[in-house]
Amino acid sequence: MIRTYETVFITLPTLTDEEEKGVVDALTSVVTDGGGVFAANDRMGRRRLAYPIKKFEDGVYTRFLYDADAGVPKELDRRLRISDKVIRHMTISMELDWAVASKEQAVRDAQARVEAEAARAAGLLTDDAARVGSLLTDPSDVPPAGARDRDRDRDEDDIDFDEQG
Amino acid sequence: MGYMRDNPGGGYGSRPPGGGGSGGGRPTGPRAGGRKRFLFRRRKYCKFCEDKARWVDYKDLRTLQSYIPERAKILPRRISGTCATHQRQLMQAIKRARNLALIPFTSD
Repeated sequence: MIRTYETVFITLPTLTDEEEKGVVDALTSVVTDGGGVFAANDRMGRRRLAYPIKKFEDGVYTRFLYDADAGVPKELDRRLRISDKVIRHMTISMELDWAVASKEQAVRDAQARVEAEAARAAGLLTDDAARVGSLLTDPSDVPPAGARDRDRDRDEDDIDFDEQG
Repeated sequence: MGYMRDNPGGGYGSRPPGGGGSGGGRPTGPRAGGRKRFLFRRRKYCKFCEDKARWVDYKDLRTLQSYIPERAKILPRRISGTCATHQRQLMQAIKRARNLALIPFTSD
Protein backbone atom coordinates (compact mmCIF):
# COMPACT_ATOMS: atom_id res chain seq x y z
CA MET A 1 0.00 0.00 0.00
CA ILE A 2 1.34 3.38 -0.99
CA ARG A 3 1.64 5.83 1.86
CA THR A 4 3.23 9.20 2.31
CA TYR A 5 6.30 9.27 4.49
CA GLU A 6 8.43 12.07 5.74
CA THR A 7 12.01 11.38 6.71
CA VAL A 8 14.18 13.96 8.39
CA PHE A 9 17.82 13.23 9.10
CA ILE A 10 20.72 15.17 10.52
CA THR A 11 24.14 14.85 8.93
CA LEU A 12 27.46 15.82 10.45
CA PRO A 13 28.24 19.53 10.34
CA THR A 14 31.86 18.73 9.45
CA LEU A 15 31.10 17.22 6.05
CA THR A 16 32.18 19.05 2.93
CA ASP A 17 29.52 19.93 0.40
CA GLU A 18 30.53 17.04 -1.84
CA GLU A 19 30.44 14.51 0.99
CA GLU A 20 27.04 15.73 2.09
CA LYS A 21 25.75 15.57 -1.46
CA GLY A 22 27.08 12.02 -1.73
CA VAL A 23 25.21 10.93 1.39
CA VAL A 24 21.97 12.59 0.32
CA ASP A 25 22.18 11.26 -3.23
CA ALA A 26 22.77 7.72 -2.00
CA LEU A 27 19.69 7.96 0.21
CA THR A 28 17.68 9.58 -2.55
CA SER A 29 18.43 6.66 -4.82
CA VAL A 30 17.25 4.24 -2.13
CA VAL A 31 13.83 5.85 -2.32
CA THR A 32 13.65 6.10 -6.10
CA ASP A 33 15.00 2.58 -6.64
CA GLY A 34 12.34 1.25 -4.29
CA GLY A 35 9.65 2.83 -6.45
CA GLY A 36 9.18 5.90 -4.27
CA VAL A 37 8.14 9.23 -5.71
CA PHE A 38 9.54 12.40 -4.20
CA ALA A 39 7.32 15.31 -3.33
CA ALA A 40 10.13 17.20 -1.64
CA ASN A 41 13.85 16.73 -1.14
CA ASP A 42 14.86 19.73 0.90
CA ARG A 43 18.04 20.75 2.54
CA MET A 44 16.56 22.48 5.55
CA GLY A 45 19.94 23.89 6.38
CA ARG A 46 22.43 23.97 9.15
CA ARG A 47 20.97 24.50 12.56
CA ARG A 48 22.09 24.54 16.14
CA LEU A 49 20.96 21.38 17.97
CA ALA A 50 18.88 21.79 21.10
CA TYR A 51 21.23 19.40 22.86
CA PRO A 52 24.54 17.88 21.79
CA ILE A 53 24.36 14.62 19.81
CA LYS A 54 27.59 12.65 19.66
CA LYS A 55 29.37 15.76 20.93
CA PHE A 56 28.18 17.82 17.97
CA GLU A 57 26.44 21.10 18.67
CA ASP A 58 25.31 21.71 15.09
CA GLY A 59 23.75 19.58 12.42
CA VAL A 60 22.60 19.79 8.82
CA TYR A 61 18.94 18.90 8.43
CA THR A 62 17.59 17.26 5.30
CA ARG A 63 14.00 16.32 4.68
CA PHE A 64 12.49 13.78 2.29
CA LEU A 65 8.80 13.76 1.55
CA TYR A 66 7.79 10.84 -0.63
CA ASP A 67 5.10 8.34 -1.55
CA ALA A 68 6.21 4.74 -1.30
CA ASP A 69 5.48 1.23 -0.13
CA ALA A 70 6.33 0.30 3.43
CA GLY A 71 9.55 -1.42 2.35
CA VAL A 72 11.17 1.86 1.33
CA PRO A 73 11.22 3.61 4.71
CA LYS A 74 12.36 0.35 6.22
CA GLU A 75 15.36 0.13 3.91
CA LEU A 76 16.02 3.84 4.31
CA ASP A 77 15.98 3.45 8.08
CA ARG A 78 18.48 0.61 7.83
CA ARG A 79 20.85 2.67 5.69
CA LEU A 80 20.49 5.72 7.93
CA ARG A 81 21.31 3.69 11.00
CA ILE A 82 24.42 2.23 9.42
CA SER A 83 25.76 5.50 8.07
CA ASP A 84 28.22 7.20 10.39
CA LYS A 85 27.66 10.52 8.66
CA VAL A 86 24.06 10.67 9.86
CA ILE A 87 23.72 11.44 13.56
CA ARG A 88 19.93 11.34 13.92
CA HIS A 89 16.97 10.42 11.75
CA MET A 90 13.24 10.00 12.00
CA THR A 91 10.55 8.79 9.62
CA ILE A 92 6.89 9.41 10.11
CA SER A 93 3.95 8.13 8.17
CA MET A 94 1.68 11.05 7.38
CA GLU A 95 -2.06 11.05 7.60
CA LEU A 96 -3.79 11.72 4.34
CA ASP A 97 -4.91 15.31 4.76
CA TRP A 98 -1.62 16.35 6.31
CA ALA A 99 0.25 14.64 3.47
CA VAL A 100 -1.79 16.45 0.85
CA ALA A 101 -1.24 19.80 2.53
CA SER A 102 2.48 19.13 2.91
CA LYS A 103 2.84 18.29 -0.74
CA GLU A 104 1.03 21.45 -1.74
CA GLN A 105 3.29 23.40 0.58
CA ALA A 106 6.33 21.70 -0.94
CA VAL A 107 5.25 22.79 -4.39
CA ARG A 108 4.76 26.35 -3.17
CA ASP A 109 8.15 26.31 -1.43
CA ALA A 110 9.84 25.07 -4.56
CA GLN A 111 8.18 27.80 -6.56
CA ALA A 112 9.15 30.47 -4.04
CA ARG A 113 12.72 29.20 -4.11
CA VAL A 114 12.88 29.36 -7.89
CA GLU A 115 11.49 32.86 -7.88
CA ALA A 116 13.85 33.97 -5.13
CA GLU A 117 16.75 32.46 -7.03
CA ALA A 118 15.73 34.28 -10.17
CA ALA A 119 15.33 37.53 -8.29
CA ARG A 120 18.71 37.15 -6.66
CA ALA A 121 20.26 36.41 -10.02
CA ALA A 122 18.78 39.65 -11.24
CA GLY A 123 20.33 41.36 -8.25
CA LEU A 124 17.05 42.53 -6.79
CA LEU A 125 17.14 40.71 -3.48
CA THR A 126 19.66 40.23 -0.76
CA ASP A 127 20.44 36.78 0.60
CA ASP A 128 18.20 37.31 3.61
CA ALA A 129 15.12 38.02 1.59
CA ALA A 130 15.75 34.96 -0.56
CA ARG A 131 15.35 32.69 2.43
CA VAL A 132 11.56 33.08 2.39
CA GLY A 133 10.59 29.47 1.77
CA SER A 134 12.85 28.09 4.45
CA LEU A 135 11.19 25.42 6.55
CA LEU A 136 12.95 26.06 9.78
CA THR A 137 13.03 29.36 11.46
CA ASP A 138 16.42 30.95 11.71
CA PRO A 139 18.25 29.54 14.75
CA SER A 140 18.86 33.02 16.05
CA ASP A 141 15.09 33.59 16.09
CA VAL A 142 14.50 30.84 18.61
CA PRO A 143 15.64 31.76 22.08
CA PRO A 144 16.50 28.94 24.47
CA ALA A 145 13.24 28.23 26.28
CA GLY A 146 12.85 30.65 29.14
CA ALA A 147 16.57 31.08 29.72
CA ARG A 148 16.23 34.68 30.78
CA ASP A 149 13.37 34.02 33.21
CA ARG A 150 15.27 31.30 34.97
CA ASP A 151 18.29 33.51 35.55
CA ARG A 152 16.10 36.22 36.97
CA ASP A 153 14.46 33.79 39.38
CA ARG A 154 17.78 32.59 40.60
CA ASP A 155 18.92 36.13 41.31
CA GLU A 156 15.84 36.83 43.37
CA ASP A 157 16.37 33.68 45.35
CA ASP A 158 19.88 34.72 46.18
CA ILE A 159 18.72 38.04 47.54
CA ASP A 160 16.11 36.40 49.78
CA PHE A 161 18.67 34.02 51.12
CA ASP A 162 21.05 36.84 52.03
CA GLU A 163 18.34 38.76 53.82
CA GLN A 164 17.39 35.76 55.92
CA GLY A 165 21.01 35.09 56.86
CA MET B 1 -16.01 23.83 23.23
CA GLY B 2 -17.26 21.52 25.89
CA TYR B 3 -13.79 20.64 27.11
CA MET B 4 -13.06 24.03 28.49
CA ARG B 5 -13.86 25.02 32.00
CA ASP B 6 -13.47 28.10 34.02
CA ASN B 7 -10.98 27.90 36.78
CA PRO B 8 -13.25 28.74 39.68
CA GLY B 9 -10.69 28.30 42.41
CA GLY B 10 -8.14 30.49 40.68
CA GLY B 11 -4.48 29.59 41.09
CA TYR B 12 -3.54 26.96 38.52
CA GLY B 13 -3.07 23.51 39.93
CA SER B 14 -3.48 24.72 43.47
CA ARG B 15 -5.96 21.99 44.24
CA PRO B 16 -5.00 18.32 44.24
CA PRO B 17 -6.76 16.28 41.54
CA GLY B 18 -10.00 14.71 42.67
CA GLY B 19 -10.36 17.04 45.59
CA GLY B 20 -12.87 19.78 46.05
CA GLY B 21 -16.30 18.70 47.14
CA SER B 22 -18.63 15.86 46.34
CA GLY B 23 -18.92 14.86 42.72
CA GLY B 24 -15.62 16.48 41.86
CA GLY B 25 -17.39 19.56 40.60
CA ARG B 26 -16.95 23.16 41.56
CA PRO B 27 -15.64 23.81 45.02
CA THR B 28 -18.16 24.85 47.57
CA GLY B 29 -17.29 26.69 50.70
CA PRO B 30 -16.69 30.12 52.10
CA ARG B 31 -14.51 31.12 49.15
CA ALA B 32 -16.91 29.89 46.49
CA GLY B 33 -17.27 33.48 45.33
CA GLY B 34 -14.32 32.83 43.01
CA ARG B 35 -16.49 33.51 40.01
CA LYS B 36 -16.95 37.04 41.07
CA ARG B 37 -13.33 37.58 41.95
CA PHE B 38 -12.08 36.37 38.61
CA LEU B 39 -14.83 37.83 36.55
CA PHE B 40 -12.35 39.45 34.23
CA ARG B 41 -10.02 36.51 33.80
CA ARG B 42 -9.97 35.68 30.11
CA ARG B 43 -11.72 32.49 29.26
CA LYS B 44 -9.30 29.83 28.04
CA TYR B 45 -9.82 28.30 24.64
CA CYS B 46 -8.05 25.93 22.32
CA LYS B 47 -5.92 27.95 19.91
CA PHE B 48 -5.71 25.00 17.52
CA CYS B 49 -9.47 24.70 17.32
CA GLU B 50 -9.66 28.39 16.58
CA ASP B 51 -7.38 27.83 13.58
CA LYS B 52 -9.29 24.65 12.67
CA ALA B 53 -5.99 22.79 12.76
CA ARG B 54 -6.21 19.12 11.84
CA TRP B 55 -2.64 18.32 12.79
CA VAL B 56 0.25 19.86 14.65
CA ASP B 57 3.48 20.01 12.70
CA TYR B 58 6.61 19.04 14.62
CA LYS B 59 8.68 21.32 12.38
CA ASP B 60 6.64 24.38 13.26
CA LEU B 61 8.82 25.59 16.10
CA ARG B 62 7.14 28.93 16.43
CA THR B 63 3.92 27.21 17.50
CA LEU B 64 5.60 24.60 19.68
CA GLN B 65 7.68 27.17 21.54
CA SER B 66 4.58 28.66 23.11
CA TYR B 67 3.73 25.29 24.69
CA ILE B 68 7.09 24.58 26.28
CA PRO B 69 7.73 26.81 29.27
CA GLU B 70 11.11 27.39 30.83
CA ARG B 71 11.90 23.86 31.93
CA ALA B 72 10.98 22.71 28.44
CA LYS B 73 8.17 20.55 29.74
CA ILE B 74 4.90 20.20 27.89
CA LEU B 75 2.40 22.79 29.07
CA PRO B 76 -0.57 20.97 30.63
CA ARG B 77 -3.90 21.66 29.09
CA ARG B 78 -5.41 22.79 32.35
CA ILE B 79 -3.24 25.87 31.85
CA SER B 80 -3.21 26.32 28.09
CA GLY B 81 -6.86 25.39 27.59
CA THR B 82 -6.00 23.21 24.59
CA CYS B 83 -8.67 20.62 23.81
CA ALA B 84 -7.95 16.93 24.32
CA THR B 85 -7.55 16.12 20.63
CA HIS B 86 -5.10 18.90 19.99
CA GLN B 87 -3.21 18.39 23.22
CA ARG B 88 -2.58 14.82 22.09
CA GLN B 89 -1.36 15.99 18.69
CA LEU B 90 0.72 18.68 20.33
CA MET B 91 2.33 16.15 22.66
CA GLN B 92 3.19 13.95 19.68
CA ALA B 93 4.68 16.91 17.82
CA ILE B 94 6.76 18.05 20.78
CA LYS B 95 8.14 14.57 21.31
CA ARG B 96 9.05 14.28 17.66
CA ALA B 97 10.74 17.66 17.69
CA ARG B 98 12.68 16.64 20.79
CA ASN B 99 13.98 13.54 19.06
CA LEU B 100 15.28 15.65 16.21
CA ALA B 101 16.97 18.08 18.62
CA LEU B 102 14.74 20.89 17.43
CA ILE B 103 13.66 21.61 20.99
CA PRO B 104 15.31 20.44 24.22
CA PHE B 105 14.14 17.58 26.40
CA THR B 106 14.98 19.73 29.36
CA SER B 107 16.88 22.90 30.03
CA ASP B 108 19.24 22.44 32.98
